Amino acid sequence: MATAFLLPAGCSRRLVAELQNALEACAERQRQLERSLCISRRLLRAWEPAEIPALEPTSGPETNEETPSPACTPSPQDLMELEFLTQALEKAVRVRKGIFKPGEKDKASSLKSGSIATSANTASAAPQASKSKPPKGTRQTMVHSKGLPDRRLMAVGDRSCMGRGAQAAKTGPGPREQQTFPSVVPQAPEAFTLMEKGTLLRLPMAFRKAASQNSRLWAQLSTAQTSDSMDAAMTSKTQFLQKLQTRSGWPCSRISAPEMEAEMGSLWKACSLLRLRMGKELAADFTDWMQEYRCLLTLEGLQAIVGQCLHRLQELQTVVLEQQQGPWPEERLPRTSLPCGGGTGPTWNPQVLLYSSTHELQTLAALRLRVAMLDQQIHLEKVLMTELLPLMTTQEQLRLPRLALCRAVHSLLCEGGERFLTVLRDEPTD
Amino acid sequence: MGRRRHRADRAGAAGALPEAIAALSRALPAGPSPETFRRAKFDRPEAAPALWQLLFSVLSQLRADSASASLSPEVQARWVKSALRSQGYPRLAQFPKDGSQGSRELLLALSWLLAGGALLERLLAQTCVRLGDEMPACECEALASPGRPAPRVEADSCAGRVDVRHLQWLMGKLRFRWRSLMASQQEQCALLGKIHSYTHGCHSDRSLGHLSITETELLRDPEYGRQLLQRLERENARLEAALEWRRREPVFWQWMDTVLGACPPEASQPAFVPGAQEHRADELALLAWELRALQEELRAAAEARRAAWAARVRGQGPDWDAAQRATQEAVAQELAALRQAWERGGGLAQPHGPHGPHRLVRSEAGLLAGPGLRAAEVIGALRSQEACLEVTLCQLQGRCRQELARLAGAAPGLIWIPPPGR
Repeated sequence: MATAFLLPAGCSRRLVAELQNALEACAERQRQLERSLCISRRLLRAWEPAEIPALEPTSGPETNEETPSPACTPSPQDLMELEFLTQALEKAVRVRKGIFKPGEKDKASSLKSGSIATSANTASAAPQASKSKPPKGTRQTMVHSKGLPDRRLMAVGDRSCMGRGAQAAKTGPGPREQQTFPSVVPQAPEAFTLMEKGTLLRLPMAFRKAASQNSRLWAQLSTAQTSDSMDAAMTSKTQFLQKLQTRSGWPCSRISAPEMEAEMGSLWKACSLLRLRMGKELAADFTDWMQEYRCLLTLEGLQAIVGQCLHRLQELQTVVLEQQQGPWPEERLPRTSLPCGGGTGPTWNPQVLLYSSTHELQTLAALRLRVAMLDQQIHLEKVLMTELLPLMTTQEQLRLPRLALCRAVHSLLCEGGERFLTVLRDEPTD
Repeated sequence: MGRRRHRADRAGAAGALPEAIAALSRALPAGPSPETFRRAKFDRPEAAPALWQLLFSVLSQLRADSASASLSPEVQARWVKSALRSQGYPRLAQFPKDGSQGSRELLLALSWLLAGGALLERLLAQTCVRLGDEMPACECEALASPGRPAPRVEADSCAGRVDVRHLQWLMGKLRFRWRSLMASQQEQCALLGKIHSYTHGCHSDRSLGHLSITETELLRDPEYGRQLLQRLERENARLEAALEWRRREPVFWQWMDTVLGACPPEASQPAFVPGAQEHRADELALLAWELRALQEELRAAAEARRAAWAARVRGQGPDWDAAQRATQEAVAQELAALRQAWERGGGLAQPHGPHGPHRLVRSEAGLLAGPGLRAAEVIGALRSQEACLEVTLCQLQGRCRQELARLAGAAPGLIWIPPPGR
């Protein structure tokens, strides 16, 4: 191909590595998102009782359930079919054993209606079933005769007690809170959807206790950080660090890599903030002299700040230059990511972020992604600039492969790879 | 009183040290026994493997990249070294070469990590059980290029030269990824909103009101709930250990002084981070170019205005002087505030904006007027951050355009037609 242009090895290596890092970071985000999408979708469907394990935690395939992979989730069709099958078998057993008693007849018909209706609309079965005896015998028969999983019916009861916390005070077994997770109180074969009955859910007591202890401990950890008792430890730590440095022949004035990254980051930030401010000042209209004077002073002030930034930059350049002359082999190192919040210790004590509507939440999330994307784009732009621009300046003549390179570089550097410029060759006529 | 407490501290120190180290071990992931620490002080080889393992797991958890524990010991040792180097560890010259020795140096490196930052807190925060639907209020984590373990980098170096079109292809792929990420994110927000409103009033904590995905999931799947409870209890135990370590750590640092004293004094070359020094120089040059361009623009704008101003305000009265002074003060204050925006908290941190992970709580029509950050505030902060970043990107692209146009000008016989839409 005439348009092929191989980049130098070092340049290729670095650029491909950077782009692949960026892709990998995106893919990681996507994976996280897919995981929670999968869980959320499952939560919003009717809670299929087959997904809820019975008393024994080790029962059958649902131990896989907590892995979020969509592959191991039974599809709704499968579950529907399983339900039909279970009900058919149940009925078959009943017919064969001739246990059609008056009391059970209701039950059978209610189950039948349940099987016809979609699983979400079987609420009518609930009160009847809770009054009559749970069909224990049939279930056992079924298990013995067919070896089919009997989770279906057991789990139905299991599931419906999720809302018990709410009703416990008023009805039935007493106001005792659930102490553990499994709770088999066969009540009603009734499909559960978050939309209809989500408000009945209550968190188990054991979990609530652990969670509140957890947040108390985190709070303690973050307050202890600022208390007086920490001062003594702080001083001895600083002394230790100093001693370690002096004993290692380490000059204290040096800037560490993370510090360097932070300094550079803050200078970039300064640069864009100053530019934004300048733009605002230059665009302003004045109605009186005082405003005009104010603008003038601001511009001069900004100029002085830029001067200071440049000074700091030169200091950093000197440090980097000294370090470059060191005897250490070149090695590509990852960019160190400082913990969020800079100097302060990052502790896990999340506060509340209130949102008022789904739309607002979407706006917020989209903006976060946009900022992350711009961050990444800027980083890549800098890397591409430092690698590709020198290639362009060392060219001797714009020959065809060079021209292709030029177009490609222009697109990558100036258009984010989205658009291309057109180059026309104005051939001299002989 | 001070003296008495001092003496009491001394007396308790002998017994307190193993307890302090035990607390530290419990707070760390797979921390070794106090005995291992004691042996490391005397540089005993049998203490080395456990400490290598500890350093590796601490550093790989800190970096939150999945440096696999299945790496061979030599690769792990190299990885640890490179991770320490990137953090600026000063004693790399003395650092052991392989995984079987140098336990004292390993102990020093671990203590250096402990003394430097809030290591335990960061580790705990990294692995903590997240119960809420969290949304960081900032984008401080460097998504641009997350840390990579050294072995991966070495593997990359085998790659040869690539065509420039390969880069374009990768770039296109990246754009596509962002688009699908955006779509998934929107869907996730919609589902999240539903779950929150359907479980309204379910949470035992009134200020939260509704359940999170994790909390709802634990109710749907009791087995998951059991596991979550176990993880939570383990984390609580580690947190308690960390708090105990806080109370006891001064003893440990006194002891570490004696460990350092046991090291033979060595005059060696400071092993400074070489790292991406060259790239750093490149980036600094780029930054210098940006700042100079900005300075030039500001100088031109300010000089013209200064001249016009000087011509206009000759012969103003004394009350004008007072007004002038007031304006000067106001501008100085404003600029100082602007300056803080990038100076406070280092470069990566956002100054005005709120920080860190937050638990999302739906509060329709201000029903829940409790304390908490409002989404609108975060949106505002993110918008200004977005504007800032857009300026930077445009600036860089503009510079490339200038540079390429200059080169194009040097080549006669070619007509350059920029793409439409710009």
